[in-house]
Amino acid sequence: MSAGSPVSDRRQFLTLFAAGGASVVLSVAAGDAVPASAQTTVTPSQTARTRVYVLVVDGCRPDEITAGLTPRLAALRAGGTNFPGARSLPVMETIPNHVMMMTGVRPDRSGVPANAIYDRAAGVVRDLDRPNDLRFSTLLDRLREKGFTTGSVLSKRYLFGIFGERATYRWEPSPLLPVTQHAPDSATMDALIAMVDKVDPDFVFTNLGDVDRVGHADVTGTTVQAARTAALKDTDNQVGRFVDHLVAAGAWESSVLIILADHSMDWSIPANVISVDQILSARKDLRAQVAIAQNGGADLLYWTGPPAARDAGVAEVRALVAAHPGVLSIAIPADLRLGVEAGDLVAYCRAGWRFSDPYVASNPIPGNHGHPATEPIPFFVAGGSPRVVTGVSSQFARTLDVAPTVGALFGLTAPAGGYDGTARTVAFADGNARP
Amino acid sequence: MGALRLEGMSLFNRRDLIRTAGVLAFAGVTTTTARSQPAEAATPPGAAVPGFLHGVASGDPLPSSVLLWTRITPTPGAVPGSGFGPDVTVNWEVAEDSGFLRMADRGSVRTGPARDHTVKVVPGGLRPGTTYWYRFIVAGATSSTGRTRTAPAAGTAVDRLRMGVVSCANWQAGYFSAYRYLADRGDLDVVLHLGDYLYEYGPGEYQARDVVVRPHDPAVEMTTLSHYRRRHAQYKTDLDLQALHAVVPFVVTWDDHEFANDAWSGGAENHTEGPEGVWTDRKASSQRAYSEWMPVRFEPGGHIYRRLEFGALASISMLDLRTYRSQQASSIVDPAIGSPARTLTGDAQMTWLLDGFSSQQTQWKLIGNPVMIAPVRFPSTLSAQEVGAVQQLLGSTTIDGVPYNVDQWDGYTADRSRVISHLRDNAITDAVFLTGDIHSGWACDVPADPLTYPTNGASVAAELVCTSVTSDNLDDILGTQPRTASVAVEEAFKGANPHVKYLDFDSHGFSVLEVTPGALRMDWYVLSERTSRAATSTLSTSWQVAAGTQSVSRVL
Repeated sequence: MSAGSPVSDRRQFLTLFAAGGASVVLSVAAGDAVPASAQTTVTPSQTARTRVYVLVVDGCRPDEITAGLTPRLAALRAGGTNFPGARSLPVMETIPNHVMMMTGVRPDRSGVPANAIYDRAAGVVRDLDRPNDLRFSTLLDRLREKGFTTGSVLSKRYLFGIFGERATYRWEPSPLLPVTQHAPDSATMDALIAMVDKVDPDFVFTNLGDVDRVGHADVTGTTVQAARTAALKDTDNQVGRFVDHLVAAGAWESSVLIILADHSMDWSIPANVISVDQILSARKDLRAQVAIAQNGGADLLYWTGPPAARDAGVAEVRALVAAHPGVLSIAIPADLRLGVEAGDLVAYCRAGWRFSDPYVASNPIPGNHGHPATEPIPFFVAGGSPRVVTGVSSQFARTLDVAPTVGALFGLTAPAGGYDGTARTVAFADGNARP
Repeated sequence: MGALRLEGMSLFNRRDLIRTAGVLAFAGVTTTTARSQPAEAATPPGAAVPGFLHGVASGDPLPSSVLLWTRITPTPGAVPGSGFGPDVTVNWEVAEDSGFLRMADRGSVRTGPARDHTVKVVPGGLRPGTTYWYRFIVAGATSSTGRTRTAPAAGTAVDRLRMGVVSCANWQAGYFSAYRYLADRGDLDVVLHLGDYLYEYGPGEYQARDVVVRPHDPAVEMTTLSHYRRRHAQYKTDLDLQALHAVVPFVVTWDDHEFANDAWSGGAENHTEGPEGVWTDRKASSQRAYSEWMPVRFEPGGHIYRRLEFGALASISMLDLRTYRSQQASSIVDPAIGSPARTLTGDAQMTWLLDGFSSQQTQWKLIGNPVMIAPVRFPSTLSAQEVGAVQQLLGSTTIDGVPYNVDQWDGYTADRSRVISHLRDNAITDAVFLTGDIHSGWACDVPADPLTYPTNGASVAAELVCTSVTSDNLDDILGTQPRTASVAVEEAFKGANPHVKYLDFDSHGFSVLEVTPGALRMDWYVLSERTSRAATSTLSTSWQVAAGTQSVSRVL
């Protein structure tokens, strides 16, 4: 097994057949027997329990969910509890926000502050896509410990990587599209439906990657957003398929859906590029002592020179980078609760800009996130369960709140040290009094 | 005119009783359906003394306190602005019931000619989100009973907040029926007054077209402390305004006419240095009279820009866009419009505003914004007469053949860019500018970039502009019938400015803003005739901003 491989040799495999005949292969945690329900479809008699599905529409902006463009998502939002002020958390990237959803804790406790970090031990910039990169327990394993079954249906290779074998049932994304390294939403939804249909976990965590992947590449993003719009329509159809399936299977009345994005998306014109490498090109002494982990709308900067020169060197880098017109702000990672993995400085770009490092040509894609302009996300609780109430809340829900909210539905106690997130129980009839 | 004065007083007392009864009967319920009776002619005070002849008011509600205001006339000679009359002690009471059986707080305060016999007190220890009754007492006189309400506790869920929104009430241009209709609703949490609460002009200088419906007192342009005090006092004799102040707390800021037309930090269009005194003195006098006569947490030497919060639902940041602003641009060689050296807000207020957007834990970020922030480009199809009339309305100037709105944010584009960039770069959601000043009704998006807005509709905020209570607008300036010549001008403006979704250049009236977690909605009510005390009120249109959209859409 190569370093970073998300899978072990102890897994069992389960081949299911989705509607239409496509096969879906799930891996099953060692020691977990394949349940009897794997042989049959969900039946109405099972509705006494609560099933919880977290659907992440990766990279979706809250204003993109409209009755005209995404009618199924809009209807779910209108019928449930909406949190219009919801936000992603630093760094506004896919991996850290999915980790925050499943752990309920900040990156300084989970070890996962960004997609890409500079690995000081290995001396390379790499994605945080290994199971041991995640140092905190997740809903996927904590629910299992309490006797519930969990599932992960993650469309992106690196998400499958970091969450590894934590769920009872795992779909390994397939087919992976070249370049984007993600499975199309139709395949992801086939897998989710097959998993729910055949093994019926109590909780499933699903990532739908198309809206994000198409958004990154949409060269019309600053204006007409043609490709993006098509992806939104398709993803909406896929969500609709899932709802229809739950209804047809008689499981809708026992289902709670938490639908959100991990971050939103912002588009830049080609000229609006910030390269810290280029900014430091006149100061080769400094450049030689700085490693850069580029995260689209955010650059993580790491001092690699002698510790004694660190404070002065970091201060110089900070001043030079902050002077760029496209740079919005520079933060100390600890102030954003990002932990040591995030390095010495976090630079954010303004709306309509992007970072491109280590070279100015490294990041040619127009759609980016990671910077504060991409914080607003859709976040709503829906479903046919009588526990779900209809309403709109002023609370600023965050990705961090998913774990405590789901935990509350299952009566799960907080992890050691408590959650950093808040259970959004205002969405539930049996929730606590609204804060 | 003693007889009239007496008649006026008796009417005032009768109406006051009716108001109080109405408060008791309809407290906490939706507006009464009974048709409100127009106010009778206001009468200069002075007949029954000691007396509280200018009503009672409350303002700036916080979760545990609210400011209470009145003015005592202790002796016949202690008329406003005179400097005459003794110091007196005024007792005040706040209770949880209108019968003052469940007393919440009480106290006494001294006042006298030094502050024109006005009284401002801030009872503390009140409960959040609670209705209170209050009154003032001196030996021989008790004020009418006022009703007010504290703000909800910080961070608590609030299902609904309903505000009256008004601006631009020129006494000489008509009657304050808008205030009467708001007072009669009985369902408001607060009234937001966006400025031009009173006007500086003398009779004949600015009225309803050419008709002085009721003359200002004193009968000159106000320039001295005595003038400003007398003018404030005159406005506070308006029974419709008194009725509104008595039933709901105000949150106010000033625009220019509280000082003089098109005021800026060093002067005003309607100020002549020398003959009209020194501007710094005039400004100090107007601010002092304002602090004495308005129910606002502002005292001379402080700043009026401030932020109030209503639980987790909304905050209101009230701006001061006169005290710190650079002079309006007047020519193309006066480089001006986009110069970062010029400011509308001043640095300290700008920092406070921007930091507030980022740090607030309230959903809706409302901005009490005395002048319009959305860019307004003049259409090229207007006649010279139409251009001139709209310029008069918007405070615009033609520079090198192009009209610029030099008195609005359009005239200070560097400051506007700072606000818009901050909103966009930090993805601030649910920011809504509530604006007055220009005597017309508007619903607009605030474009992230006006050049790309027609293609992508990207908006960083919404702007809702209430019309004037009485002050002249386009049909008045053009001398045409309402909703005739103006309609084509409005369409031309909307065509040239796609982010302007609604525009009414003609009507007078008031707005009601309803804020809920799901959406914010403004209703524009228009009056049948500002010069008639018996004006009727009609709901004209409704626009909303759905949460998270930063964009206006039509409801009705």
